[in-house]
Amino acid sequence: MYRVRTILHLAYRNAFLRKSRAILLVMMIGLCMGVMVGLEGLYDGMSLHMIDKTMRSDCGNISLFAKKYRLEDDIKYHISEADKKVQQLKQLHDVVYALWRIQSSGLAQTARKSTPAKLIGINIDDEEHFGKFSEFLKEGELNFGKSGVFVGNELAKKLKLHIGSKVIFTTQDAHLEIQSIALRVKAILHTTNINLDTRALFIPRETLTTLLALPKNSATQIAVISKSKEIKTLQKSIQSLFPTLDVKRFVELYPQLKQMQELMSVFNQITFFIVMSVVFIGILGVMYVSILDRIREFGILLSIGYAYRNIRLQVLIEALLLGVAGYLLGTIIGLAFLGYLSYYGLNLSMFAEGLNSFGLDSTLYATMKLSYFISTFFAIIFASLLSVVLPLRQLKKLNPIEIIRSTS
Amino acid sequence: MFALALKNIRYYKGRSVTTFLLTFIAAYFFIVYVAFMNGAHSSMLKNALEVYTGSLQIYQKKYRSEGGYDYLIEDTSALLTLLNPIQGLKAYSSRLETYGIAAYKENSSAIMLTGVDFLKETQLSELKKARVKGVYNSTGDCLYMGEDLATKLHVDVGSSISFIGSAVDYSFVAERFRVCGVFKTGMYDFDTQSAFMNRDYFDTIFFSQNISTYIVAMAEDMKKNEHIASQIAEKVPPDLKVYTWKELMKSMVQLMQMDSFFGYVSMALFFLVIFFVIMIYGFINVSSRIKELGILRSIGVSEHNISALLFYEMIILTLLALICAVPLGAFTAYYFEVHPIVISGMNDMYRAYGVVSDEVPTLFDPFTIAWNTLLVFVLNLLSAIYPIAYVRSFTPVEAIRHV
Repeated sequence: MYRVRTILHLAYRNAFLRKSRAILLVMMIGLCMGVMVGLEGLYDGMSLHMIDKTMRSDCGNISLFAKKYRLEDDIKYHISEADKKVQQLKQLHDVVYALWRIQSSGLAQTARKSTPAKLIGINIDDEEHFGKFSEFLKEGELNFGKSGVFVGNELAKKLKLHIGSKVIFTTQDAHLEIQSIALRVKAILHTTNINLDTRALFIPRETLTTLLALPKNSATQIAVISKSKEIKTLQKSIQSLFPTLDVKRFVELYPQLKQMQELMSVFNQITFFIVMSVVFIGILGVMYVSILDRIREFGILLSIGYAYRNIRLQVLIEALLLGVAGYLLGTIIGLAFLGYLSYYGLNLSMFAEGLNSFGLDSTLYATMKLSYFISTFFAIIFASLLSVVLPLRQLKKLNPIEIIRSTS
Repeated sequence: MFALALKNIRYYKGRSVTTFLLTFIAAYFFIVYVAFMNGAHSSMLKNALEVYTGSLQIYQKKYRSEGGYDYLIEDTSALLTLLNPIQGLKAYSSRLETYGIAAYKENSSAIMLTGVDFLKETQLSELKKARVKGVYNSTGDCLYMGEDLATKLHVDVGSSISFIGSAVDYSFVAERFRVCGVFKTGMYDFDTQSAFMNRDYFDTIFFSQNISTYIVAMAEDMKKNEHIASQIAEKVPPDLKVYTWKELMKSMVQLMQMDSFFGYVSMALFFLVIFFVIMIYGFINVSSRIKELGILRSIGVSEHNISALLFYEMIILTLLALICAVPLGAFTAYYFEVHPIVISGMNDMYRAYGVVSDEVPTLFDPFTIAWNTLLVFVLNLLSAIYPIAYVRSFTPVEAIRHV
């Protein structure tokens, strides 16, 4: 016990003996780790935010469609008795919430402009429970009133729509007749889901089923939110419950978002590897010189019977102390950086148009994961321990007498 | 001092090799990374412009803000004549866009129908190259439509579809057209909504003789696009406005700027860590030479000369690394500009945003390489400041006594 305490004491004194050198090393580890963790959180936050908003505004974790609907985009492939199916889904253990929507493609027109668009029939209360719909409100109020419509912000921009503007939507009903509906804009939404922001108009579900001459409980999509981590298992059980429907997971519906998340993750891993490699070179340099500086001191200790394993332990602890000090500084910087970016976000309104067109908010928020700090901790510990392997091997090879006689 | 610096570089091998390698890696990596980033952006832009947008477009001033048939270009032929003498234009043509509902049997879809000059479009867009079925340069009541639109309507070459829309004079248009060709650009929105028709027949149906929504033009050299746009702006009537691709593709331009911003932020992290390591090695080296530097001071070498010696060492090491890294980095940038990397599968992700090619080229730009190199050089010099300041904090006597 006494031996360990002495070694610990010696290691502590020696680790910070050369203050400037130690401070430089600790600053290097701390700053690099802090910035790296901040960037990891920001990049992850970007993709997670996109995924979260897309799930909340559209497909949830799992969506159900009538077979062929996704291929044909035709209301004749609709789900009948959607209300009953939703009730059945809500009974499932892993399902947090479920809703149904009806959708029809057509032409949105104003007095001067027209563009292909899609009319989506929703229930505001259901949407609020499902994905906090009110958070998507950019302008106006979430009240359809009489003939009210909510419009995606990019579509509103394209058609020059404002609150109170009139818009006509023309589509084909279930009897193959062309139908039009006159609507007045009550709200402009910004979901950051480009499919919705650029093309969607939302009206009450019942209004759309009436327009399309479909039974009131018809749907083109049933979306499910689940907290389960076993989404594939849930997908299978839903599929067995409704074998005639097409049951798809989020990743199957939005593969590009999943791909983007994976790309970000690969990028973060490469960054982590490069930064940690260079940090290792920094620690190696400091520890190598630190041991060489004290080589005579070690020689004297060895010649008076001090065991090599004690020197090895002392040097390892010194490296660990420096590494951990850098890690602690990095954790403080990283937490501050991530805390700020998660709470206030990074305001990039100068790129707002570009970000919106890509399905991102103009303010980017970071995400904070414990894994950033755990993986960095182990990498720094590993780099610290590895950095003393080479100098210790050299030290071990030397004869104590030769070491004492050496001048440097 | 210069000769002494050279001698020191040879003597302190560990520090020299580390500084050389880190500088080499930083410079090479930076040049290649920026070349790939700029190359990807330029490729995205090229794709987007060449598919359909062109490098500039001319509209009635209020068309893009108000829209509709009230703001069309009334005398197209006169405007096209004005463009004849403009140097540097590869091609130009007029287009007229209208929206309506297309139906085939029990299927219908909203479409954007555009009247175009198919021959001129071959120089302005990728429409001809995108053909997958049937005829491109069709005449009469023929439509050249997007593959996804054809799938949606369940039509094929030879099918006859109904179209409902309005003519330029706001009269009702209900016509039957034949599908004569099908194209696929890879851009989902474009392929699900667009159909094209030869301008002569289009004009008879929509009463749009000599009228267009806009004139589209493509510059021979994109670098001269702004200049050409300003030349045109001087010539056209005041009620018309020239938009360059930077305004037409504002969101894409911003997206690329943002991507560059994050790219440089990531690079800043690499530079931060490399800067620190070079500084630490410089500092360790200087710490071990305090006695030696103290002796130099005591025999009359000035503080200024000591600083110069240490700066020379850093400059020589940095230049050596840059001499190796810059040609190699420039060659890599040039090689991959000529032979772009193909990442199959990338299409799915970017197609929704208008990127249709899976080639990732670099952009070889000597100016960019020059400032990348200069930045690495300056950072290395900055990393020498703290070690120098540390040495200068010792008096000659303190330095000689230093252990």
